[in-house]
Amino acid sequence: MARTTRSKAAGASTAEASNSISKTSTSQSKYALSPESANPPKIFILPKKATKEARVVSLLNPRYSKPTRYLVCPETGIYEFTRIVAPMSTPRSWLIERRNGTGDVLQEKKEQKKSADGAEFSTYITKGADLYVSTPIDPLFLKSSQKRALFVPADDHFDRIQQAAPDLHLWEVLRWGGGRVRALLEARMAAVCETAQAGDERMFRFSEEKLLAEVLGKARRMVLPSSLEEKFVTRVLEAPVLGVKRENTATTTTAVKSDSQPETPTETEAPASSSVPESGTSTPRIESAESQSSISSTETSASLVSEASTAATSVAGTVITEEETATITTAELAPAMQASDEVVRLQRLRTAFNFICSSYVPPSQAAVLKARLQSQSQPQAESQSQQEKKAANTTTTPTTTTTGVDFTPLETYLSEIARLRAEAAAARSAGDYSRKRVLDDEELAERAEKKRRKEEDETKKKAGESRGVRDLKKVNTQGMRKMSDFFKKKA
Amino acid sequence: MLEARLQQANVLKKTVDAIKDLVQDCNFDCNDSGIALQAMDNSHVALVSMLLKAETFQPYRCDRNIALGVNLVSLTKVLRAAQPDDVLTMKAEDAPDSLNILFESSENDRITEYDLKLMDIDQEHLGIPDTEYAATISMPSAEFKRICTDLMAMSESVTIEATKDGVKFSCTGDIGNGAVTLRNHQVEEKPKENIEIELTEPVSLTFSLKYLVNFCKAQALSDSVRICLSNEVPLLVEYLVSGQSYLRFYLAPKIGDEE
Repeated sequence: MARTTRSKAAGASTAEASNSISKTSTSQSKYALSPESANPPKIFILPKKATKEARVVSLLNPRYSKPTRYLVCPETGIYEFTRIVAPMSTPRSWLIERRNGTGDVLQEKKEQKKSADGAEFSTYITKGADLYVSTPIDPLFLKSSQKRALFVPADDHFDRIQQAAPDLHLWEVLRWGGGRVRALLEARMAAVCETAQAGDERMFRFSEEKLLAEVLGKARRMVLPSSLEEKFVTRVLEAPVLGVKRENTATTTTAVKSDSQPETPTETEAPASSSVPESGTSTPRIESAESQSSISSTETSASLVSEASTAATSVAGTVITEEETATITTAELAPAMQASDEVVRLQRLRTAFNFICSSYVPPSQAAVLKARLQSQSQPQAESQSQQEKKAANTTTTPTTTTTGVDFTPLETYLSEIARLRAEAAAARSAGDYSRKRVLDDEELAERAEKKRRKEEDETKKKAGESRGVRDLKKVNTQGMRKMSDFFKKKA
Repeated sequence: MLEARLQQANVLKKTVDAIKDLVQDCNFDCNDSGIALQAMDNSHVALVSMLLKAETFQPYRCDRNIALGVNLVSLTKVLRAAQPDDVLTMKAEDAPDSLNILFESSENDRITEYDLKLMDIDQEHLGIPDTEYAATISMPSAEFKRICTDLMAMSESVTIEATKDGVKFSCTGDIGNGAVTLRNHQVEEKPKENIEIELTEPVSLTFSLKYLVNFCKAQALSDSVRICLSNEVPLLVEYLVSGQSYLRFYLAPKIGDEE
């Protein structure tokens, strides 16, 4: 089962079932330490269902327009790589061990080649504890950057992408598997394009509505991983804690949630998965998570990574459905300001939508999509709002409209939360002495001016005061009555 | 319009020097009978009262009552420029912004002129009744100063006890105790060293030495000092300037905090 993949040789590796990990080694001697390999082996986890024809290729990353490696399998589709990094605080490394006789033909061939070079092909320790997990990606994202308003045959379209990045493998990929990859790509392309038949050729024209519907559909199906759920849903919707009691219950709910959904990265094509850029560079995932955050919290790479790794490794113990967690939340939290199921659902949807947009859609297009989503929700808002309110009061009945989503309840709830937060902050700044109040520049200037004036007055006063007068201030006048007690005031 | 000409600048110089260590700012109230000053220290336990009679000046002219609000430190700075024997002239308008001070050297023709800015000072005046004191002690001002400074090394307060036997200044401090006793002492040849005690009833009062030492700065004004005591009223320390002009200090006794 063991299989070796060096990033260079990766294209030659075949796909078998692979939960096990394999290795390459360049060590030369038993005793002397070999120089560090410039191209150390990397560890990949490849999908079981990927066939032997699967190859790692360079394609254009839709979000960052940079060449990025993908695993393309003519049978089962396209996979992207997510790099999982050990946290900086606890460095880890891999011990890669080879087990004889388990490698397939290619593997053995490579071994022979290595030993012919005189290199020992055995155990290897790599200091980079990165783990690359491949997860499926929807090919439609791979060929975005559609801008033309004309019907164009698919070939022209691919041509343009290839010309934009000539050193990538798009054309090559298209020829694989007897055109199966191409068929797959075209099918997905059709999902976001209007098509027309011109003779025996199919013509495509990019449609923003279709892309929006597509992304929104994905967002609806997406289950947020616990880290995202907590940061962008629970915390955003949480009313300011006014008493200690409520804070306790809030944390318990998040704990329940993190148990409930650990499997997400592999479940859908969208969430928590990202492409692997050239080796050595940091993964763009962190950037995207930050840029997407609508609230002020920023993720540290360490926490993100640790959460991701637990999500990848832990097995779901008790699976609690979304609805159930929601009801638990309502039951435990104080009812003062509680997000309704509808609001939570909308916030989840928005978070998922934003996540997909910021991970897979070019920034310019993402902006357009967001604007479109916003504008679509407006006209429907009035007609739907009553209906939605009813729905929110009873049980969660997700709106079945394909495109438009009415975010009005969410908006009103968020503005209410903002108001409550402002109030709570105001109350705290008045009562909490342990925290220094943040002053704006004007206030600071005013205070400095006041202080300066006071000091000036004081120095002036001191200048007009003799030493004798100053000394008399220190005299203990206890038991001495005031002069006015003895002498009456003159009229 | 005020115009007051003082033959010896030293008189005003010493007076102001004596007051400036007790009060910071005060009004010089000028009227046709002379220039008066009354002020209390910051704690309001001591009071200084000065009167420079019109006769002290030559000439003296004051058409209307004028209050000259003066910072005494500033005034001291100006007066420092005067030689002791200079002729000093003060001039002010009826509603003055500043006080004009002129020094004329008696030896040469040098004339020094200053304008001192005035300020508005809101001051309350206390009416001080004429009091018959139980004990009045006249003594050389230098002697009084010496007693006060000596005893201040021991303690912060002194008990003045006047009996028919004499007057006893005593104090008790951390390092021990000490006392100075004076008796009636009159020598015809040296009237300046005379000590005179007039007593109607015995008195014993305690005062803050810091304040007394402060009063003693007026010692330069006069060779002798008059100390008047009565139970339950402030002590009076009086220095005569010249003629009927005087500088008086009042100090509240310490009550009930022996030890």
